[in-house]
Amino acid sequence: MAATAPTQFQSDEAPTSLLSATTLVGPATVFVAAGLLVPLAILFRYSFNNFEPRHMMVETFSLDNYVKFFSDPYYTGVLWTTLRVAALCTVTCLVMALPLAYVLARTQSRFKSLLIMLVVLPLFVGNAVRAAGWMTLFGSKGFLNVTLMQFGAINQPLQIMYTEGAVIAGIIAVNLPYMVLTLQSVIEGINRNVEEAAFSLGAGPMTMFRRVLLPLSLPGILAGTILTFILGMNAYATPVLLGGPKFKMMGPLIYGQFQLNNWPFGASVAFVLMTATLGLTATANILVQHRFRR
Amino acid sequence: MTRSQSRREVLLGAAALAGAASLPRTASAQAKGRIIVGTWGGDYARLLNKNIEGPLLIKDGWEVVQDQAGDPERRSKMFAEQRLPRGTSDVQGLSALNMFQMHDAGTVLPIDYGKLKNAGNLLPSMKYPYGVGHIYSGKVGVYNPKLITTAPVSYQDVFDPGHGNKLGIIDIQYQYTMVCAALAAGGKVNDLEPGKRLLLECKNAGMRIYPTNEAFAQGLKSEEFGVGVMWKARVVQWQNAGIPVTAVAPTEGALAYVSGFVIPKNSPNKDGAYAYLDAMLDKSAQEAFAVDMGYNPTVTNAVVAPDLNKRIGFTPDEIKKLVDLDYDYMNRNDVAFKEWWDKVLKS
Repeated sequence: MAATAPTQFQSDEAPTSLLSATTLVGPATVFVAAGLLVPLAILFRYSFNNFEPRHMMVETFSLDNYVKFFSDPYYTGVLWTTLRVAALCTVTCLVMALPLAYVLARTQSRFKSLLIMLVVLPLFVGNAVRAAGWMTLFGSKGFLNVTLMQFGAINQPLQIMYTEGAVIAGIIAVNLPYMVLTLQSVIEGINRNVEEAAFSLGAGPMTMFRRVLLPLSLPGILAGTILTFILGMNAYATPVLLGGPKFKMMGPLIYGQFQLNNWPFGASVAFVLMTATLGLTATANILVQHRFRR
Repeated sequence: MTRSQSRREVLLGAAALAGAASLPRTASAQAKGRIIVGTWGGDYARLLNKNIEGPLLIKDGWEVVQDQAGDPERRSKMFAEQRLPRGTSDVQGLSALNMFQMHDAGTVLPIDYGKLKNAGNLLPSMKYPYGVGHIYSGKVGVYNPKLITTAPVSYQDVFDPGHGNKLGIIDIQYQYTMVCAALAAGGKVNDLEPGKRLLLECKNAGMRIYPTNEAFAQGLKSEEFGVGVMWKARVVQWQNAGIPVTAVAPTEGALAYVSGFVIPKNSPNKDGAYAYLDAMLDKSAQEAFAVDMGYNPTVTNAVVAPDLNKRIGFTPDEIKKLVDLDYDYMNRNDVAFKEWWDKVLKS
């Protein structure tokens, strides 16, 4: 059947048909090319221009903006902070999401749909609004500090707001549902019998997880990790609202440059961020796949 | 099963689409035309509509459309549209510093004051060659008497490292804060180096930096800190909201903040733009802004009630001492100042 299907398709539909592959792929391709690739190409060109306060930018072809970024410890520090926060959030999300996704995938409860809805529910609220919620929790007179002080656990309010910890908590809360949903859908596709087979052959839960579940759910782990890492690298509202003025990540740094009308430097920082994200994601993908293929 | 459409059908469909697209425009067009106003959102946009657009322009047959966004985004748009023969806005609301920046970049029209019948009432200092001042206030010292027992009378008293962590500043107001600190340190509006040194001393003593005006207000309210600088108009709003703060005009002269409007060179409706500027200078609109927003009128014929004037206004001596930014100096060095602020002060 599989071998005959393409032949049937070709014989039924003439190459000029509206349903030809080109027609099907065309609109989305044109949309992506026009809406994403063209502006990216323009921005990439801008990154080689020079900033001039009177005219915003002067057309030239220079690597000055990239040199400025990589030769200034302030900017490289911002990149490292971003990488650290994104990696930490991704690992934490993975560790927290795996058991939850497993339970959601395997539960026979009639409330399964409701449980999945509960995971999705935070996505109904925008990032900025969620960050505002964290602010009421983390503030010096917020719920957390007031509660701890009332119970006598602390005498002075803890400085939680405007710290890296607050940003990490905020980003994890944003990204966790994406990881859970990605893992849950993949684990659900793994036949329960293979787990039973592992147990019947004497494997303990950890061995079954390591030798059976983990390799089989690897596509989901990779997809979820990539998704949360990219979201972490590009976080904007959470670092601005919870990190405060002294904490800088790449997203707010880029926006700050555009606010100053320094489009060339803003564009170059944007491409540094994009390259770092894509490069690390691709490298991790290749390394993990290579490791588990063996 | 597929059915190819004839060329006639396609043309008919296109004609119908074009006809439909033109319908709303025709229906919504007002007798005098459309004015597109670039403005900040929030209260300011609401009050422009309430005090200027509704009572003075829409009633008179104009259609007014607001293009709401932060000023950096709107300035970027003006830069990007600079080469187009026809832009997408007729007037743009900007601070005096940004009005100068847009003028310096050659994006705005010189103002022909002969076309504004209310121009005769405009304060001379608000008549920029490239823009018109709409409202103004001044950067005053603000303090909580409960925490700061000796009332500050100057910027020097405010930016006193002795306040330790009871002194607060606002991240997004880096330009004005640096100038205030420069004045406190005996510097000038075109030499901020003494101010930088003073800010570093304050930072080492524990000065707090808040990300936004709102976070600053929250810090004052929760008594996390007790002294800083802020626009007098905003202090009035905070007082109205029950925050226990007092404003003081600094002896060095309060740094002026002017919000105004410019006309982009490629404004599609220049007559509409002038009509907007004229309406904005109308006595009734100016008085309403003083009441609603706490900013001072820029026209001499606006009457502000004495009790309100006492809270939002400045004495004749204070007005005489108002300090203006050196726009050219600030514009040329803005990126350098921001880099110093981010890399050195906030590090």
